Amino acid sequence: MSTIDAADFSPELRQAFVDMVLCGADDDFLIGHADSEWTGLAPILEEDIAVSSIAQDEVAHARELYALAAEFVGRSADDVAYGRTPDEYRCAALCVTPDDFDWSMLIARQFYYDHFDALRLERWKRCAYRPLADLSQRIAAEERFHVHHVDDWIRRLGGSKGDARERIEKALSALWPHAVALFEEPAGEPLVAAKLCPRPPKSMFDTYRKVVGDALSCAGLAVPSGGPDPARLGAGGRRGRHGPQLSTVLEELAEVYRLEPGATW
Amino acid sequence: MICVDAVRDVLATINDPEMPISIVDLGIIDGVAAREHEVTIRLLPTFVGCPALEMIRHEIETKVARVPGVKSVDVEVVFDPPWTPDRISEQGRENLRQFGVTTPGPHGPRGPVLVQVGVEGKLACPFCGADAARLESPFGPTRCRMIYYCEACKNQFEHMKRV
Repeated sequence: MSTIDAADFSPELRQAFVDMVLCGADDDFLIGHADSEWTGLAPILEEDIAVSSIAQDEVAHARELYALAAEFVGRSADDVAYGRTPDEYRCAALCVTPDDFDWSMLIARQFYYDHFDALRLERWKRCAYRPLADLSQRIAAEERFHVHHVDDWIRRLGGSKGDARERIEKALSALWPHAVALFEEPAGEPLVAAKLCPRPPKSMFDTYRKVVGDALSCAGLAVPSGGPDPARLGAGGRRGRHGPQLSTVLEELAEVYRLEPGATW
Repeated sequence: MICVDAVRDVLATINDPEMPISIVDLGIIDGVAAREHEVTIRLLPTFVGCPALEMIRHEIETKVARVPGVKSVDVEVVFDPPWTPDRISEQGRENLRQFGVTTPGPHGPRGPVLVQVGVEGKLACPFCGADAARLESPFGPTRCRMIYYCEACKNQFEHMKRV
């Protein structure tokens, strides 16, 4: 595989690459934070450990991706993670949608996100910038456990009756538009030309819908309809356009960092 | 001049803080290089979010700095090659088994050995050797272990994840 060194990036390429990495870093950071809110509150002990472990993984993945992006922008990883304004974040709305401590909302959110993240990492594994390819290889191996875990829950809830089934059906349909919006990442022609990311296959969303749809069908759950709306491209979180929820989360998340930016911990 | 073997001997005395296994047996040391008075050690995380990594790094820096001739120690955390349980030595596997942690055999299937919680599969219990384990949880006390329950001897045990 041909590789590229950081020194060979043009300024435009650097910007496009950092934006791409921040989409993943911000998604992982915000969803990891949302998951961490469940520590001590999950329905059973094993799930308390599971959701806390998943949160720990996501935040750690974000930390490494921030460190990688930080080298290109001349800021520290902490500063990139905590020191930006909300419109500089590139996360998708799914990662900041409140779950109101409804377990079905958490499961639906993880289900849609983990399958998307797995597809994204498969593409990043082929990045010509080796540090991202190596890191993605490692993260993808860890994410397999998240996918197994959440698919198992989808099967269990789909196979249940009454309230549990009604709730997961409701959560899956409520979050589907957000799942679709995960695919609003910038196409990034310069990234494709520089082999920093393979060209997104036209069928990428179709692949996602098939993977997600197969898992739902196996669980006896309805497969949501509706795909990306071309009119919405560029309107969402990937362009830094967020709802009020992100500002609220960031105020809490970055509160300590902003007391003394640059402090050594 | 620094003796690289002396550095390796020191590394073999450093245990993982969460398991009775040396970091060399665990396979997380990828390389030791010495140049004049500087030592560079490549460290492979088992999991990206492993909180023990900083403790291990600190212990390496402190102990290797005492090796004669060493003036600076650089611990590089790298993801290439990726750590896999295939890197655990035979001695390391035995230490873990005695501790109640099983390890996946070389070149086994990736991901959880048993996909669904509660389903039985082929995994010998480290305590009684029976083949009657069921997955309790794909997440355990550390990022690299998951929890099984042996129906034969009624003990819980842990299994290293294949990543």
